[in-house]
Amino acid sequence: MSRKYFHGSLRLSVLAFGLLAVICIFPTAGVPQSTPSKSASEPAHSVHTPFTESTLPNGLRVIFSEDHSAPTYSIAVVYDVGSRNEREGRTGFAHLFEHMMFQGSENVGKGEHDFLVFSNGGSANGTTDKDRTLYFETMPANQLELGIFLEADRMKSLAVTQANLDNQRNAVQEERRLRVDNQPYGPTFELIDETAYDNPAYKHSIIGSMADLNAASISDVTSFFKTYYAPNNAVIALVGDFNTAEALATMKKYFGQIPRQPAAPKVDMTEPAQAAERRKTVTDNFAQLTRLDILYKIPPSNTPDWYALDVLSDVLANGQSSRLYQELVKDKELAVGLGVGPEQARGPSLFSVAANVRPGKPVDELEKAIEADLDRIKTGGVTPEEMSKVMMEERVSHVRALQGTLGRAVELAEDTTFYGTPNLINTQMDDYRKVTAADVQRVAQKYLTENNRTVIVTVPKSSGAPSRSGE
Amino acid sequence: MNNSFSRLTRMVFAAALAVVFTSVAHAQNATSQGDKSIPLSKVEMKNRAPVSKEILKVNLPKPYETKLSNGLTVLILENHRLPTATVQFNISGAGAVYEPADEPGLASITASMVTQGTASRSSKQIAEEIDRLGANVGASAAFGSGALGVNASGLSDNMDQWFALATDVLLHPNFPQDELAKLKTRMKAGLKTQRTQPNFLASERFNRAVYGNFPAAVISATDESIDKISADDLARWHRERWVPQNAILAIAGDVDAKALTPKLEKWLAEWHKTDYEIPATGNPTPTSTKKIFLIDRPNSVQTTIYMGNIGIDRRDPDYPAMVVLNQILGAGPQSRLFINLRENKGYTYGVYSNFVSLKFAGPWRAYGDFRTDVTDGSMTELFNEINRISSEAVAEKELDDAKRTVVASFALTLESPSQVLSYTTNTKIYGFPEDYWDKYPAKITAVTAADVQRLAKKFYNANAMQIVAVGDASKIKSVMEKYGPVEVYDANGKPASGGASASTPGSR
Repeated sequence: MSRKYFHGSLRLSVLAFGLLAVICIFPTAGVPQSTPSKSASEPAHSVHTPFTESTLPNGLRVIFSEDHSAPTYSIAVVYDVGSRNEREGRTGFAHLFEHMMFQGSENVGKGEHDFLVFSNGGSANGTTDKDRTLYFETMPANQLELGIFLEADRMKSLAVTQANLDNQRNAVQEERRLRVDNQPYGPTFELIDETAYDNPAYKHSIIGSMADLNAASISDVTSFFKTYYAPNNAVIALVGDFNTAEALATMKKYFGQIPRQPAAPKVDMTEPAQAAERRKTVTDNFAQLTRLDILYKIPPSNTPDWYALDVLSDVLANGQSSRLYQELVKDKELAVGLGVGPEQARGPSLFSVAANVRPGKPVDELEKAIEADLDRIKTGGVTPEEMSKVMMEERVSHVRALQGTLGRAVELAEDTTFYGTPNLINTQMDDYRKVTAADVQRVAQKYLTENNRTVIVTVPKSSGAPSRSGE
Repeated sequence: MNNSFSRLTRMVFAAALAVVFTSVAHAQNATSQGDKSIPLSKVEMKNRAPVSKEILKVNLPKPYETKLSNGLTVLILENHRLPTATVQFNISGAGAVYEPADEPGLASITASMVTQGTASRSSKQIAEEIDRLGANVGASAAFGSGALGVNASGLSDNMDQWFALATDVLLHPNFPQDELAKLKTRMKAGLKTQRTQPNFLASERFNRAVYGNFPAAVISATDESIDKISADDLARWHRERWVPQNAILAIAGDVDAKALTPKLEKWLAEWHKTDYEIPATGNPTPTSTKKIFLIDRPNSVQTTIYMGNIGIDRRDPDYPAMVVLNQILGAGPQSRLFINLRENKGYTYGVYSNFVSLKFAGPWRAYGDFRTDVTDGSMTELFNEINRISSEAVAEKELDDAKRTVVASFALTLESPSQVLSYTTNTKIYGFPEDYWDKYPAKITAVTAADVQRLAKKFYNANAMQIVAVGDASKIKSVMEKYGPVEVYDANGKPASGGASASTPGSR
């Protein structure tokens, strides 16, 4: 929800702060952005997503939302495990494991899963982030049983072999090279998490280190599967053109026999309060423009302050009429692209302000200008026009996110995993509407402070600046 | 969030999502000459999953169609599930392939500038109005295309307002000097940034190699062209090219087609028909000799490889067979390239093929990013797969699977009204008969193994291949030289000087 995109001619290709936030098994498909919920009070069209939910005896939670407007359906399976569950020395393991889930199971051969989905007109992928691992298929409606069968078979009986592990380790290491080691600002994204966080849960990248990936063993895979890929640690949502009673019967048929496991260990997400600013400079082999990242520690998603911070980020940088875009990109021409947003996180989150510095302009000047803008919010607040504009933007982005069956399935399953309720899809817009201008000013004063921030400056190697320095 | 759908959107037809199965026997053949150090983990079919054999009959909804008095073709597809609508003006003849050779970027700068000021609104007013309405209004002209798009979308309940704004930027842009100067600054910074991306460097060189002097060879503006293009140039381009008789207006979503049509006449009354006719582009001439280009990117840990050549245009009767051929070679995670180079060899995270077919013939290509130290093995396997599909007939099952994939993938496009509408827009652009998409599945089904092999032989010609590698020249130049003389360039697209010299002059 609401990770803000970057404005200006560079857009996502350059500044994508979220580059490492979600990584997929295949580069060919993606998860739609899941975005907040429920149409605003506007009477003409209320957009409500109906659903029913049940829990199988083995603890598996299933959610159904019928929609017969197209002959398709999507299934989203969310396992309550992400890179935050990784232990020391095994960074990257949750994602490596996700790759193993495409290597076959008792009744599905290696590679057969994708063959069956794609050759019957569907699409499929898996993604891992800090807080969860997600698998999904979108298929023609007549293949309902197939999608359910495929997800059940791998939950029940994953094939774990040394050859598969070695092979997928290679694929993941290539993915790391592609997305981190060979990309401008790739190392910056890793440095942000390593610097801003103290709790090990979020203090490393999702993709993990090469050394840790090399250390992953078959016994790691086996115990991870047993602990985290249990039915009582998963939520499944189906959205689309099916009959709920039939779909529930099919779910019971294929998932019902998978045994419950002891509850997975809880992760301690306690993050100590930050006492002083953290600041680092990193030299980048490939970047051509200096980049400034400022991160403030903030509360988890789906909390009142997080929603207020999201509204604040819209005022600052959503759309070309936003404050920072107009001032820093258009008027003062200090930045050539920028983005602002609170990260989505179940644990302690970060409020990110990122900008690419216009060539020839000093990064210090840009940083001071951003700080002055944040100070203006702290002292002068935001206008009623800004508040109504932001509410309109939230409403539209919510409605847009409801377009396809996949986006809805993912949101229903994630919300149930994170917050225990699928109904957030219908109520979250109310959480945005509750935010007042005074709240926005208050959270700016409370969280956007010098001692609470991490500043990372990325300097192109070609400019001859120092390499990664200390704090 | 990842934006990896973008790779697919470049393909002309949505069947790009489809994939194809490679049998175990094939995989063994293909790997016999490759790297032997990594154990093979082969694709295996257990055939125990419950697959519905019923063919899901998908009917594409037909849009309402009309023509306004100014010659504008209008297509409207009603869909009331969500309170939103999307609008696209597709204007042929106003795209980058018609630009003067010394002004690359003219079409796209015109498109960027229309939201930076109109006769009645400043840039800031336009931005504020867009954001206040919760709408999107913008224009874009992609390099390599003959068309330009003005796009708008938003809620249906304030559509009158955002449509009026879209009409204003469509008809009355005034190209203010100060905004143009600022845009030029941002664009130049953008050009610098593009050169950090290996895929940009590979595309730039690949398009020059395959298209030669054809205008689609160009994929970006240059510092020089940005300096040269004036507000007068933009105004002239807009006046001459953005004309209704060459445009299609496609509207999808929560609208009433019958009630909307008279409104459109009124809203677009000031858009006047002209006598401008779109010049013919002709077709590019395929290069018949193999060439190898190396773009040096020091410290690169991967080698990005593109290889291919000019294929077919969109009206070519072989188009359905080309779709099937591409499915088999490299359209997705079950294609031959992916199975061999990723799943069996572990050389890469992803390797694919695609092809571009417009009013003129565009290239097919096989492409991927490979670990630097397996550049050699990757080149070997890419050629193995390309040669195999030309020299051996595709097995019946593999062919049937590929065809089923293409046909079945229609269903998924029905989730998006604007995507459904794009099928009809395409029939208009290419002058297809009205029942083109109704008959398309039968055309795919009729493709034979002989058709596939004939096309592979014709277009996947190893002796005429244009090969581009972006990577660390100090590590991969000798590898690339195994395939012939190598021209080396730097990241600015200039022939490299000194040690890694170009063996032949630049390709342009």
